[in-house]
Amino acid sequence: MGTEMGQKRHSASLANKVFIQRDYSEGTTCKFQTKFPSELESRIERTLFEDTVKTLNNYYAEAEKIGGQSYLEGCLACATAYLIFLCVETRYEKVLKKIAKYIQEQNEKIYAPRGLLITDPIERGMRVIEISIYEDRGSSGSSSGSSSVSGSTAR
Amino acid sequence: MKTLAGFAHRGSTFSSGSVTSARFKPTKYIPVSTAATLLVGSTTLFFVFTCPWLTKVISPAVPLYNGLVFLFVLANFSMATFMDPGVYPRADEDEDKDDDFRAPLYKNVEIKGIQVRMKWCATCHFYRPPRCSHCSVCDNCVEDFDHHCPWVNNCIGRRNYRYFFLFLLSLSIHMVGVFSFGLIFVLHHRERLGALHTTVTLVVMCIAGLFFIPVMGLTGFHMVLVARGRTTNEQVTGKFRGGVNPFTKGCCGNVEYVLCSPLAPRYMLDPRKKPHAKIQPPFIRPDLSERQITIKVSDNGIHTTIISSKSKSSLDGLDDKETQPPLPPKADRYNQLKSQLTSSEGKKHKSTAPLCFHQQLSCHSLSGKTHPSTPAMYKFRPSFGTMPKVHYHTAGEKIIMPDERKTSAILEEGVRGHDYRSEPNLDLPEYTNAPLHRTFQSSPLQLDSDPINSRSLSLKQGQRRPEKGQLPALQPQTVTSTPYKSVFSPNTLSNRNGSLSYDSLLNPSISPATASECMAHRGMPSMGFHSPYLPTKMCHIREPEMQRHQVAPTYSPVMPPRGVGRQSPHSRDRDPSPVRYDNLSQTIMASIQERKEMEEREKRQMLHGRSQTHIYAQDSGVFDGGYGLPPNVCYPDGPRGPGSRGPTPPAYGGSRDNLMGVGLVSYGQRTPVLRHAGSTLGRAPRTSSTSLHTDHSSTNSSHSRATAPEGLYRSPAHQPHSPAMPRSPSYSHQKLSYISAHERTDSPQAMKVNGQMDCHPSAQGATHSPSRHSNVKKVTGVGGTTYEISV
Repeated sequence: MGTEMGQKRHSASLANKVFIQRDYSEGTTCKFQTKFPSELESRIERTLFEDTVKTLNNYYAEAEKIGGQSYLEGCLACATAYLIFLCVETRYEKVLKKIAKYIQEQNEKIYAPRGLLITDPIERGMRVIEISIYEDRGSSGSSSGSSSVSGSTAR
Repeated sequence: MKTLAGFAHRGSTFSSGSVTSARFKPTKYIPVSTAATLLVGSTTLFFVFTCPWLTKVISPAVPLYNGLVFLFVLANFSMATFMDPGVYPRADEDEDKDDDFRAPLYKNVEIKGIQVRMKWCATCHFYRPPRCSHCSVCDNCVEDFDHHCPWVNNCIGRRNYRYFFLFLLSLSIHMVGVFSFGLIFVLHHRERLGALHTTVTLVVMCIAGLFFIPVMGLTGFHMVLVARGRTTNEQVTGKFRGGVNPFTKGCCGNVEYVLCSPLAPRYMLDPRKKPHAKIQPPFIRPDLSERQITIKVSDNGIHTTIISSKSKSSLDGLDDKETQPPLPPKADRYNQLKSQLTSSEGKKHKSTAPLCFHQQLSCHSLSGKTHPSTPAMYKFRPSFGTMPKVHYHTAGEKIIMPDERKTSAILEEGVRGHDYRSEPNLDLPEYTNAPLHRTFQSSPLQLDSDPINSRSLSLKQGQRRPEKGQLPALQPQTVTSTPYKSVFSPNTLSNRNGSLSYDSLLNPSISPATASECMAHRGMPSMGFHSPYLPTKMCHIREPEMQRHQVAPTYSPVMPPRGVGRQSPHSRDRDPSPVRYDNLSQTIMASIQERKEMEEREKRQMLHGRSQTHIYAQDSGVFDGGYGLPPNVCYPDGPRGPGSRGPTPPAYGGSRDNLMGVGLVSYGQRTPVLRHAGSTLGRAPRTSSTSLHTDHSSTNSSHSRATAPEGLYRSPAHQPHSPAMPRSPSYSHQKLSYISAHERTDSPQAMKVNGQMDCHPSAQGATHSPSRHSNVKKVTGVGGTTYEISV
């Protein structure tokens, strides 16, 4: 985006993927490891990465919290023979939307400028956080190539 | 059979994680159909044949109750049947390319202190999370896999276990209810067992009775499982037999978890085409040490390549994921500088320190030397393998720090610098520094806008983000250098042509701004980034030089317009002692500084006290701004300067006074600009003299100390200054003080600005040009420039 006329356009191509695994030390609650992978050593600051993962962990913890709201949800669901699920979004789904938005924002602000892309863990069954590492493959004449390439490779 | 079933199951749409084929296997639907038929049918019959009588005889609540229970059963049955149990999507190839061939079959993970084995799933291509199992019927890995229930034709996993359990419970209750009420009916119709209603009720009772045992058995079994926090799979395979279950939360916790936990999300989502963030190189890299920071310091003919737009874009890039391309060649040098600096200074002051040195070094280089003039400078030079050409880029230009905050500030400054430069420059033709001057000005401006913040930020950022930090650090340097430059240029200009100085003083607010910025920058050096030393020196050197040249002849004419003060200081600085600090030895600088201070003091005293004070105030402001001719940056010293300058160096004083008069005018313009610089200045005036003195003394000794952390740079600078050029050092100090004052609003702070202090003194000295001239000493600076130091 923002290719300037007369300027060579640099294209990015997918170079590597890093997978942040789940942290099962506290059971099966959704929590990701905050260990900083070595592949990102030269791409992003450690604090940024850890902040992202910690925020995600907090989001998931909030989603899975068993408390008043989850009780209410369960009772309501039972009372309406689970028809309520057709109308109202569950708490988890709401938090997932928040997470998706957060990841999108992080990608735009922090990771994409560094040639990285975070994939929402829900797409991977919440098993891993996938971080795609892109490399600058030099300039290319095509103006549409890079974005499409990066978009496709990002998937 | 198994494969066939598997294949058929692959085609199942219920909860398949694999590609569904069109194969339809009816056999798997037999149990579920049977169960559904039996359930619905029996209950319907019950309601039709048994309930009416019961309603009549017992109460209408009977069918109501039964109806509710039946509804509950149906709902749970439906949920258990149609809900995704928690199927894991197949892993992408990228995920398992390392694992598929060389990975061990099991991977151990510790859960609450207990080693749990995760098995590699060949079908799904990942290590199964704890409690996950692969269902051969569904051909999927299911989270918290319980079992595959044929009666609902679905896996029971994390998501639908609750519904399955409730289904069992409700079904049991329902069966019990149906059986009981049927029995009542039959008992009441014993005599007519052949009747239709009775027969049907009997049949229903039989069905209920028949399935009672398995269902109740299963219900009881699952109740135990729930209480224990185990899955059927774990129970049946004996995983925790005799062992400890790491997944249990206690009996109540487990029950609560099963019944009240939020509904887990589905993983088998349609691949949504969400807009991916654009990945557009160049990319930001966090590692600063690789960056080459280019500090272009040109000598008199310093040409600043202020690429404020560039820096701006860098900022933009940060925000828009458009990262600034790797620093441009010039910037690269910066990076180098930075890296060097950082390495030399250590994290915190990395950016600042090295920059200072670099700046200093650059100054020297500019002046023709390739080595720092003072031993102190050498000290800080380690990172420089060879004296790199320090190009004083405009702050904005050079410091393209990823640091968004800083960069923005810096960019703004740079932009301002441009403005400043765009203004008519009083550069004398001979004043090759003009361009340089501009550079400084721009940077000072930039710095000024955020001198302290940027500096401190840069420091911090340097830590956090080396890249960014470096940039800000660079900027300070640039700023410092520029202030000097600006100091010089405006002053020099004025000095050169007397008119110039005034003009520079009268330059639009930019100059004050720049001056203040300069000053601020100078102060910054104390922060460590800017090489206070270097710029100061340059400024000082230039200033006195310029001032001497210019002030002398044009002192009077200059003075009046200079009343503003800013200019005068500059001019004064220049005229009396256009010595470049970087070129001078420390002793010389120190003496110059002393002289300047003295001159300024004298001048101040000469000038009417009020005006003087005013001037001082102005000076401070002027210095910030005016001194600033180079924008307020320079002036940071000013504030200090005015006070100190006024009385002391005659040149300064005179010029200052003159400037004051003139500067007042310009001050007015610049006042706003000077605010930040001037604020310090405001204070500075009061303490300017003292500051000057202190600077003076401090330059010799404690200047650097005052600034403490950043003073590193300065101290060396100061020390040499004090003996040699009282004026220049004082100016620089003043500037520094301003800058520091800006930060600290304290004269001692001003002292911190070693180099900058000098500028101020020189500026001040400018006003006192006449007197200065009398005391002018000629000092040969680096590069063969001759500076007149007013004594």
